[in-house]
Amino acid sequence: MTHFQISKLIKALGQYGIFAAFVVVCAVLSVVTPQFLTVANLTIIITQVSINALLAFGVTFVIITGGIDLSLGSMVAVAGVVAAMLAHPDSYPVVVPILAGLLAGILMGVFNGFIITKSKIAPFIVTLGTMTIGRGLALILSKGRPISNLSDSFNFIGGGQILGVPFPIVVLVVVFISCAVLLNKTLLGRYIYAVGGNEQAARAAGINVNQVKMTVYVLAGALAGLAGILLTSRITTGQPNAGAGFELDAIAAAVIGGTSTTGGVGTMTGTLVGVLLIGTINNGLDLLNVTSYYQQVVMGIIIIGAVLLDSWNQKK
Amino acid sequence: MKSLTPLLICLALLLTNCGKGDNSQKTDTKKLVIGASMLGMQSEYIVNLSDAMQQKAQEMGAELIIVDAEKSALKQTEQIESFIAQNVDVIILNPCEVEASSPAVAKALAANIPIVNVNSETTTQPTAFVGSNDTESGKIALRFIAEKLGGKGNIVMIHGFMGQTAQIQREKGAQEILKQYPNIKLIAQQAADWDRAKGMDLMENWIQSFGTKINAVFAQNDEMGMGAVKALTDAGLKDKVLVVSIDAIPDALQAVKKGTLDATVFQDSQKQGAGAVETAIKIATQKTYEKQLLIPFQLVTQQNLTQFLK
Repeated sequence: MTHFQISKLIKALGQYGIFAAFVVVCAVLSVVTPQFLTVANLTIIITQVSINALLAFGVTFVIITGGIDLSLGSMVAVAGVVAAMLAHPDSYPVVVPILAGLLAGILMGVFNGFIITKSKIAPFIVTLGTMTIGRGLALILSKGRPISNLSDSFNFIGGGQILGVPFPIVVLVVVFISCAVLLNKTLLGRYIYAVGGNEQAARAAGINVNQVKMTVYVLAGALAGLAGILLTSRITTGQPNAGAGFELDAIAAAVIGGTSTTGGVGTMTGTLVGVLLIGTINNGLDLLNVTSYYQQVVMGIIIIGAVLLDSWNQKK
Repeated sequence: MKSLTPLLICLALLLTNCGKGDNSQKTDTKKLVIGASMLGMQSEYIVNLSDAMQQKAQEMGAELIIVDAEKSALKQTEQIESFIAQNVDVIILNPCEVEASSPAVAKALAANIPIVNVNSETTTQPTAFVGSNDTESGKIALRFIAEKLGGKGNIVMIHGFMGQTAQIQREKGAQEILKQYPNIKLIAQQAADWDRAKGMDLMENWIQSFGTKINAVFAQNDEMGMGAVKALTDAGLKDKVLVVSIDAIPDALQAVKKGTLDATVFQDSQKQGAGAVETAIKIATQKTYEKQLLIPFQLVTQQNLTQFLK
């Protein structure tokens, strides 16, 4: 191979690396475990990744603008606890806990966006603060105890099925399409890329940068709220400790999927494949009964590998 | 604006709760002062334990200052240092970690302040220990499974956070019983970090790989056990698979009542908390005390459930 061909190959790997990796992983797993490539197992994988997917979609918006959100996991807990408090049987109709959970996420997103745009403190620091505040709020609201005894209609969100399709998958598909359309087909989507690509230029072009930033943090908050509702419903209990570390899984998925942490680059499809890749590997290693020690090592290698491919690709 | 009402309720709850962390009252000079550092108030069991301690202290007319180490052994050591500086009469330690919390014990002893470990141990020996032997809980759970399976079958084990004392001891107890039953095979084991959602994910994956081959599940805590129950129920397999876990949290007791969880093992936070405070007061007032007060675990099944439901 000539040097030119090699660089072309690396470029192709960078662009399609994540898809290629996903296909390879699936192919290998299909060969080594007969249980992998079954409708039942694939359904389970997609159901299991739905919560991480919602968070990853949200954080993709944020990362494309050049920001970061570390408070997503805590938002999941706050939204979950708030929803659970209002979801006992015979208390409120199911829309009340859902709206309250969403609102909890949105409010925390507004808080993040407000401080970040007004103070110019780095998003890393602001959301690190919100992460701790959120965890505390979840514990205060729940008094440190899980909240159970939730209504059947609430538990349908995470455990029910529509025409044989688990409801979390329905949510995942709807949210994915909405996010992809928002990012690719709307003015706001173009503004999000513009702000992350070059903030000065975006400002000079008359884009209200602060408004765009506020919007992405609120979007991430709302999606984290939804994720919290989904999780609470799936495990039929609101847990103040839920979601710890979820933000990192979400960021990992976005990064594996080709979202650049320097901003301006990223797609929802890439993030979705990143989410599926993580979920598939976890599922596969469980099926093969590989201990969780190795699972963590494998995941770390994939994250670094994905970013390496990305950086090579950008140099070419 | 009906959707706002719950939020307002939450906010109100939040505000009314704000001041409650501060338990230090003005001391009248005679009152015995106990300082207690707890592993982490994020865990329901620890919350119950500290509630029991607070109740006992009130009953016995002692002042109990409870602080939360938030699972950090370093923070815990600092808290013990500040108790020493405040010159409390006696310290109760709910250790974060076997090794890392040991300096805290050593410091208290060096300052001539007696220290009582509650719920879990440290390498450095305290003045007294009140708690339960976690190995026992693993044994009780596995013995129940072995009997129910008639000494023959396939089981899976869901571990807690690998490397933590409870995980190590519960596994040790389980393995000891497994040795006595050569026809019970442990076909898979994996960690789910004490977490219900992770336990559920893991069980779903296992159902895919083993299907109906699994006869019983041993989860090292109720949260993960409840996750396994949910996964098995969703897959329509719960009737065929036995699930046993440890802790007897309220959710698990309800599940035992409904028959979805076959058994749990009760660790008595009430007796541990009360015992710790009692022992601490005995030591501080120079009465005789037990150097090691072991509170036994109890198996909870549908037969004896009522005595555990509050």
